[in-house]
Amino acid sequence: MEEDEIAGYVTAYLKKKGFTQTEKIFQEEFQTNKTNSSPLEPDIAKHILSFSQLESGPARFHDGYSRLRSWTHCSLDLYKHELLRVLYPVFIHCFMDLVAKGHVQEARHFFNTFREDHEMMHLRDLQKLEGVLSPTHLEEMEFAHSLRQSKFNIKICEYSYELLLQHLHSTQSTTILGIINEHINFQVTPGQPSSIVDDPEAVTLSGSSQDAANQINQKEIHWGLLEDSLEERLEKASSLLSDSEKGEGEAKEGETEENKKRPVEGGKQGASIKKVKKDKGGSATGKNTKAEVNTVSAAPRVKPELPMPIIPTEVEQSILEDLRNRVQLSSVALPSVSFYTFLNTHNGLSCSSISHDGSLVAGGFSDSSLKVWDMAKLGEQTASSLSQDENDTSQNPQMGQSGGGKRQYTLFQGHSGPVYAASFSPVGEFILSSSADSTIRLWSTTYNANLVCYKGHNYPVWDVQFSPVGHYFASSSHDRTARIWSMERIQPLRIMAGHLSDVDCVQWHANCNYIATGSSDKTVRLWDVQSGECVRVFVGHRSMILSLAMSPDGRYMASGDEDGTIMMWDLSSGRCLTPLIGHTSCVWSLAFSCEGSVLASGSADCSVKLWDVNTSTKVSRAEEKSGNASRLRSLKTLPTKSTPVYALRFSRRNLLFAAGALAKNG
Amino acid sequence: MSTVPKETIEVIAQSIGITNLSPDVAFALAPDLEYRIREIMQESIKCMRHSKRTILTADDVDSALALRNLEPIYGFTSNDPLRFKRAAGHKDLFYIDDKDVEFKDLIEAPLPKAPLDTSITSHWLAIEGVQPAIPENAPVEAPTEIRKSSEYKEDGIPVDIKLPVKHVITKELQLYFDKITELVLNKPASIPFRRALISLATDMGLHPLVPYFSRFVADEVAQNLHNLTLLFALMRLVRSILQNPHIHIELYLHQLMPPIITCVVAKRIGNRLSDNHWELRNFSVNLVASICKRFGNVYHNLQPRVTKTFLHAFLDPTKALPQHYGAIKGIAALGSRLVRLFILPNLEPYLLLLEPEMQPEKQRNETKRQEAWQVYGALLCAVGQCMHERAKIFSNLLSPPTRASSRPNGKAMIAMSSKRKASTENLMQQQQPPLKKLATDAPGGVVPMNSMSVDMQMQGSAGAFSTMMGVPNVGASSMARQISNDNTMGREVGGQQSKVSSILAQAWKDDIDAGQLLSSVYELFGESLLSFIPKAEAGVFL
Repeated sequence: MEEDEIAGYVTAYLKKKGFTQTEKIFQEEFQTNKTNSSPLEPDIAKHILSFSQLESGPARFHDGYSRLRSWTHCSLDLYKHELLRVLYPVFIHCFMDLVAKGHVQEARHFFNTFREDHEMMHLRDLQKLEGVLSPTHLEEMEFAHSLRQSKFNIKICEYSYELLLQHLHSTQSTTILGIINEHINFQVTPGQPSSIVDDPEAVTLSGSSQDAANQINQKEIHWGLLEDSLEERLEKASSLLSDSEKGEGEAKEGETEENKKRPVEGGKQGASIKKVKKDKGGSATGKNTKAEVNTVSAAPRVKPELPMPIIPTEVEQSILEDLRNRVQLSSVALPSVSFYTFLNTHNGLSCSSISHDGSLVAGGFSDSSLKVWDMAKLGEQTASSLSQDENDTSQNPQMGQSGGGKRQYTLFQGHSGPVYAASFSPVGEFILSSSADSTIRLWSTTYNANLVCYKGHNYPVWDVQFSPVGHYFASSSHDRTARIWSMERIQPLRIMAGHLSDVDCVQWHANCNYIATGSSDKTVRLWDVQSGECVRVFVGHRSMILSLAMSPDGRYMASGDEDGTIMMWDLSSGRCLTPLIGHTSCVWSLAFSCEGSVLASGSADCSVKLWDVNTSTKVSRAEEKSGNASRLRSLKTLPTKSTPVYALRFSRRNLLFAAGALAKNG
Repeated sequence: MSTVPKETIEVIAQSIGITNLSPDVAFALAPDLEYRIREIMQESIKCMRHSKRTILTADDVDSALALRNLEPIYGFTSNDPLRFKRAAGHKDLFYIDDKDVEFKDLIEAPLPKAPLDTSITSHWLAIEGVQPAIPENAPVEAPTEIRKSSEYKEDGIPVDIKLPVKHVITKELQLYFDKITELVLNKPASIPFRRALISLATDMGLHPLVPYFSRFVADEVAQNLHNLTLLFALMRLVRSILQNPHIHIELYLHQLMPPIITCVVAKRIGNRLSDNHWELRNFSVNLVASICKRFGNVYHNLQPRVTKTFLHAFLDPTKALPQHYGAIKGIAALGSRLVRLFILPNLEPYLLLLEPEMQPEKQRNETKRQEAWQVYGALLCAVGQCMHERAKIFSNLLSPPTRASSRPNGKAMIAMSSKRKASTENLMQQQQPPLKKLATDAPGGVVPMNSMSVDMQMQGSAGAFSTMMGVPNVGASSMARQISNDNTMGREVGGQQSKVSSILAQAWKDDIDAGQLLSSVYELFGESLLSFIPKAEAGVFL
């Protein structure tokens, strides 16, 4: 009797779907097998029965989800937070299924009924999904697309898993069960449920892209430093140099640097105090130098895959000089921070960059202009010109403008759209700027002129970065590609394609063999410059990635996103070491100190934060086996006076420069 | 189903000339429109992020439109974020308030000032990880963090010995000081001055300037007593400095107090008669009171010294009325206790002095009369507040039965006094003894003062004790003298008043019956005092 019923359902189903051939065959086989077929288990019969109800319309999504939801909320407290994780994937897939089936109105109703539950964790995704109102939108939108194709990984303990399955079976909510089977990948762990603390890996998006990522992350990368780098040379040289001599040299340099700085800073602080501190720093440096040298040399050496430009000897000398006089930073010895504040930008400053020695500051403006200030020169003039200017403007405003003839900055005009990024070459003789007009321009700071215009991107170029050795540079664009260029060619050398959305930022690896790109698809990718292949995919951010930084030893990478989260990645394993939580708004800029012990981050929340990298990486190395990643320590927060921090740069001597535009309050 | 209603589509269709749009089309277009809008917004947000902003502007939307090869929206370009207004009656409907501008006005208007050119300034955000307290840096709020960082520095670093530092003021601070003083002297009513006051009240790193400011205030007050607006500006300056949490003003109080007190009890402030120096006095009194309140327990002799000055001014009949006014206000501002100690005992004789000045027939000079009325008002206010507080205390202390008993007392007394008023014969007889008593009881006059200074001592003024001793003596004797003066002048003093004066003379005592005190004060001031006393208590006492 039951069998007949089942057969009836099956035929009905086949008819509905239009499988006439199959239906016929089924009928025939059913007839022949009727006699000798073993009776089906009643359980299965029930299941099939409930599957037949599948066609009962869009309401079942709503019902199924709300049942699951209320059950979850009533479940045992101990397991509740684990079960709650299941709700979000189910929710969005219910919604997308409804949309895909064309039940748009029901989908909207469903979405609005339950969206509040997930707003706290997934607001941005919800906002994106909210607009999806037809099956074609679903196809068009890359976010929805990737969701459909991938699976959620959810870590869950054994008992919670059982609870969930029991519930689903007992309530016969096959719709939900189907979604869960289709889109969720449970990683069932034995024992107690995980702690309620937000574990970033508890829920991860995966699936086809994740598999690809995992596969990609298997590839070998050589994160070591370049052979025969200047640091290495310095190390050799320093072993020859006796300690006493070095001490002397340092003291002297400290003074000269101070002299150089004083005009720039306008002597705001008592010089005597600074000197005392400098000397102290110097003595500390002397002691620590050896240890530091050891850590750097511990990094493996690799051969450059690109032909390297030759560095002129005098430049090399000056860099070596800087390296010798580097202040050793650590969690105990924090850097000095010099802050450049842009005034009267009228909300037009869209990017800022600081040269490696901090003497040049560039600002890219939304009126297509690029302005470069020479801070060393500015310092000499400020005292006199400032008072003069003020007199001028107060006496006759007309004159003020003509006085602008001797501007304080060099104006570079040539772009035809907002300038979104600027980058100084290592020596500071060139600037690259990228703009919404989809071009990149190379400017010379010595001749104050535009040298080359690089065309290749089809859409606004969001970011451009010189390689650590100069000559090569990388750009990233709205056209979802990143490109590698050399200064002497107007065509790109490599095109890196693979991101699912805009490539928002780009950063070179210390050994120039790799570049990292951050994207609006919330992933960071590492690309091999020589082959153009993607060698790592870093998944974990919850929003658009805005800034990247590579540690000087080439082992770690930091990435900052729109929400203010910073993640520290191990390049070789492709895993996130620790999220650094503290900023409350966009992280515009990240910078590692020159020996890699301190990470600085600048944010739209008007603060510069300093993070201790050394201890955290050491700890993680030690505790890697135990699988317990501790959070990085925030060393210090330096609030600015309503000035979002746009750019950060550690000079070769480990002085931190920061820049930002003063924002009017209200 | 879509947030865009199909009416919107119809309206848009009409605006581009399609009149016969079928509802089905509108219905189908609405969700697509919504999706496109969201798409544009998503791109706009990207543009906003890349312009390193957190507020979306019309420019961002334009660049997003450009990305999609669409025409930009004209007419909204502005570098400043748009100001939206909420449409009345709708929860989430906003619009931009667009004013109509006449061409004529626009053409005739003078050219606007050229905007200032972009510039860069630099400062130290941190030195070796420590934020210097300079005006460019945000105020430090987390001293705990500093403590934490200092923990690391403990290991073996020798203690710094700070050498005496020459007091050097940076150019910036000098400029700042010059600007402020210039504003004070030249444009005390301007908006920049108000901004400057805010800056003075909030900025860090101004401490090096404080001695200069206090010197400046002292000098200017001394020289410009006739210039009321300037004095006012100076007092505002002082207030701002006092408000600044980053300045340790107590080191310079000795320099700042004299000019402030001058502004309270100066003989003559301002040039013209119309100058409202009363306001300045009130303002300065508030300053004094706030200083005493803030630093009173750190500097024990601060309040006694201030009180002494005020008392001197109050009890000297040769001083001008505005000075008395300032003194009364000052004493009142320092607390009702002082009013009880110093004003109430002297209230009656003082009022006798004041009365003729207030009456048009006796004082012909209009301004003098006004001054007298002002003083009277100040007195009334001071006494009223004092009584108000007394009454409040007693209303708490008094249990119902005593209240009941005190009521007939008060009434009886008033009845009695009114009887006495009626009999004029007794006047002369009864007048003598209490006055004598007052005049001869010089030691008696000292006793209350003693107890007062003991009180002061309890507040912590050990050092002030001996200096204070002299003052009340002077006060008491001068008071006595004053009264005997009255006596010799042969004024008609009601017996009832003598009773009043004796009660008032005892006012310093803590346990004096508030009812009696109140009623006697009531005798002096009449109905106008009642406004100070809470209704219920007034009912109890009168």
